[in-house]
Amino acid sequence: MAEITATISRPQRWDVPFDDKMDADAVDRVLSIPPFSRIDASQFPKSTPLRDILLNDTSLRSFRKGEIIVREGDYGNSAFFIIRGSVKVTLGKDAIPAALLGRRESRKKNFFETVSQLWRNPPFPEVRDTARYQAARAGTRRGDTTSPLPVPATSRNPFGRATEAKPAGIFLSDVPAVLKGGTATLSAGLFFGEIAALGRTPRTATIFADEASELLEIRWQGLRELRLRAPEIKKFVDTNYRKYSLENHLRETEYFKDLSPEELKLVADQTRFETYGGFDWHTDYKKNRDTNPIERLRGEPVIAEQGQYANGLILIRAGFARLSQKYNHGERTASYLARGQMFGFKEIAHNWRSKESVSLRYTLRALGYVDVLVVPTAVVEQYVLPKIAAEDLPALIETKHEAENLISPLEQVSGKLPTDFVEFLVDNRFINGRATMLIDLERCTRCDDCVRACAASHDNNPRFVRHGQQLGSYMVANACMHCLDPVCMIGCPTGAISRDAAGGQVVINDTTCIGCSTCANSCPYNNIQMVEIRDARGEPLLDQEKRPVTKAAKCDLCLEQPAGPACVRACPHDALARLNIRDTDTLAAWLQR
Amino acid sequence: MAATLTTSHRRILLRTGLLALAGVGAWTWQRHLATSLHHTAIATGLALFLTCLALALFNARKKLPFLPLLRAATWTQFHIYFGWFSILLFLLHIGFRWPDGPFEVLLASVFSLVALSGVVGLFLSRTLPSRLTHHGENVIYERIPALRAKLQRDVEAIVLKSVEETKSCTIADFYAAQLKRYFDRPRNFFHYLTRGQAPLKGILGEIRLLERYTNEREHAILAELTECLHAKENLDFQLAGQGLLKYWLFVHIPLTASLLLLGAFHGLYVFYFAGGLR
Repeated sequence: MAEITATISRPQRWDVPFDDKMDADAVDRVLSIPPFSRIDASQFPKSTPLRDILLNDTSLRSFRKGEIIVREGDYGNSAFFIIRGSVKVTLGKDAIPAALLGRRESRKKNFFETVSQLWRNPPFPEVRDTARYQAARAGTRRGDTTSPLPVPATSRNPFGRATEAKPAGIFLSDVPAVLKGGTATLSAGLFFGEIAALGRTPRTATIFADEASELLEIRWQGLRELRLRAPEIKKFVDTNYRKYSLENHLRETEYFKDLSPEELKLVADQTRFETYGGFDWHTDYKKNRDTNPIERLRGEPVIAEQGQYANGLILIRAGFARLSQKYNHGERTASYLARGQMFGFKEIAHNWRSKESVSLRYTLRALGYVDVLVVPTAVVEQYVLPKIAAEDLPALIETKHEAENLISPLEQVSGKLPTDFVEFLVDNRFINGRATMLIDLERCTRCDDCVRACAASHDNNPRFVRHGQQLGSYMVANACMHCLDPVCMIGCPTGAISRDAAGGQVVINDTTCIGCSTCANSCPYNNIQMVEIRDARGEPLLDQEKRPVTKAAKCDLCLEQPAGPACVRACPHDALARLNIRDTDTLAAWLQR
Repeated sequence: MAATLTTSHRRILLRTGLLALAGVGAWTWQRHLATSLHHTAIATGLALFLTCLALALFNARKKLPFLPLLRAATWTQFHIYFGWFSILLFLLHIGFRWPDGPFEVLLASVFSLVALSGVVGLFLSRTLPSRLTHHGENVIYERIPALRAKLQRDVEAIVLKSVEETKSCTIADFYAAQLKRYFDRPRNFFHYLTRGQAPLKGILGEIRLLERYTNEREHAILAELTECLHAKENLDFQLAGQGLLKYWLFVHIPLTASLLLLGAFHGLYVFYFAGGLR
């Protein structure tokens, strides 16, 4: 029997710091600036002391005038605090032409690299280059706050998230000329970017330095700990959040875009923030998914109820909501709403124009965590509706309540998807999927060409299981859906799981993954596997305690492959597709092929 | 009428029309060569060989999933319609009569088997997925032996429980005499091909008969066994259906390789005697 000799150090959090240039002096400096100076360090546990968080999860960054800090549409994994200088936030969608943003294309294999996979792929599954881990670990300095390592300027760790996250110094040389919309200024002492970082959503605006500025970039794992342990930071961030996100959100909403800045401010002042459900919705979902559908529905917090007067226009700011309608003793799901969608506008517009008023036709329920903005009806009637041209207003609602209860349970209630399919998608939270693997079992011959293609493209081990929840002829396979709200990212101690800045795919940095299984346990769909890794000889890699070293592995949508997802391309019967569940038109067209 | 056709139907009609046109074109071409006193067999033979070669490339494409070489689904469509076209070419090549030379008979037989296995494969891949989907729980082929072993353990536990709880060996004896062999290994492969459920119905009939001689507690145990029988029947069906869908290729692909080798030899041989190599 071959002796197993491959041993590596078990990866740890902060093996790879966010920025290896951060040292004790830099931490001291940050701790001298409010609100950090007001933090009580004794509130932090010994395992994650405040100084270590600042040392390992932050980066001090300098920007020159005009340099882009974050770009609209990029997925952010970090927030920023302005220490010195000021930044400009672009207002309006696509305020800066895409060509000037210097957006980086995802690294794809070139032709030779693609072809060479034929002979370069190792014969064993999950083979890793162990030298890569050792090189990464050479930069370790956890808990080193009292005796900082001398880090030479040339030894930037190539594996750290900070290096990957930083834009490659894109400048706007003539700012007023390139801007299509206006800008807002944020000055020293303010946070920005925390909404995208904590909400796992794309950046909503491009932000660039208005002058030479110094910023503290905090990766979201660190920011989360700071919010949790330091009430000063939480209050600071939350106030900031309310102050700056609201007007932006309203400005981006279709019916509000023609409002003047003054009107928008008046509307914003009267808009209410409401939150339903818990932020970690996936844990409740896992607990309740096998319960009776009626019970489960009762457990979902009601945001607005069918039959009530529409008191306000509800804008979904984060999370998902179920739109349902009473049917006999239960409720059938008509549709699902997510960030950017609104509820109640048709009713409000109808009541404004018609003598015969209507109540809400649907109930809106929170599916887990939902953050909404409520614009009171009177405000909508006073400022918003008069600005909309008559032909752009929604059609008047036909009031035939009796007829609604005569519809067959399986008939589609609204939209293009059959009701049973909508119920299936919502009950299983597949509405979260941006690239859900759907398999048409009437076409699938179970040949497993998709599985083999996936394995050939990923370390000889498929990144999905051709099995999963099924409704009739359709199966949602156990493949990463690259969720709109990727809860797998919650709790990753190193930030190894993150969004690709360009495409938004949820990807795992194998070098910084410590194999803690947090992401695999958090994924509500069981789409992340922990795999035991091997060296080039195919022998399992063990740590010093002779335990196998594991890494999280999942579908990455073949980000590096020039041809795109191998599974889709390999299916000989066109039975498999990767679909965005929110794109109901495409989904319906695929179902009705 | 046109309004009732789905996109998929329209696509099939279009492709079939194109195939018919190609067939008519090939036939006209062959007639034109014949009336021009050309060697029609050489021309159609070469066309047939090249078509078969192109069809065989599909398997090579499957080995290169990461290369941007069109989607496999597109290749499948080409494969199907070129496959039908190759049969037309073959018929033109042999002049619509079975050859009489031993080598030609061998070659024609291999081609026929390749074509037949292809048609059978097409039929299976168009009919079995639906039956597999709606028959019962969908399981992964490779997991079936493990699931069957677990089911067998569950059944044995139920039988042992029946002896303990009822102090009677009736069900245990029935299991040993009738059920054990059913759960031991995959059964009734050929019945599934013909959609037959006679074996299962036979066993269920025997269980119903046994119910006449058992008490209420034993009825409950027999109901549990019935559930297991249905689960086993589904596993057998999935094994048979998925096995067929996988293994018909083990006939089609080796035969294709033989056909290409024999075809190449046949081509060289004809070329030699036609004076090409002399």
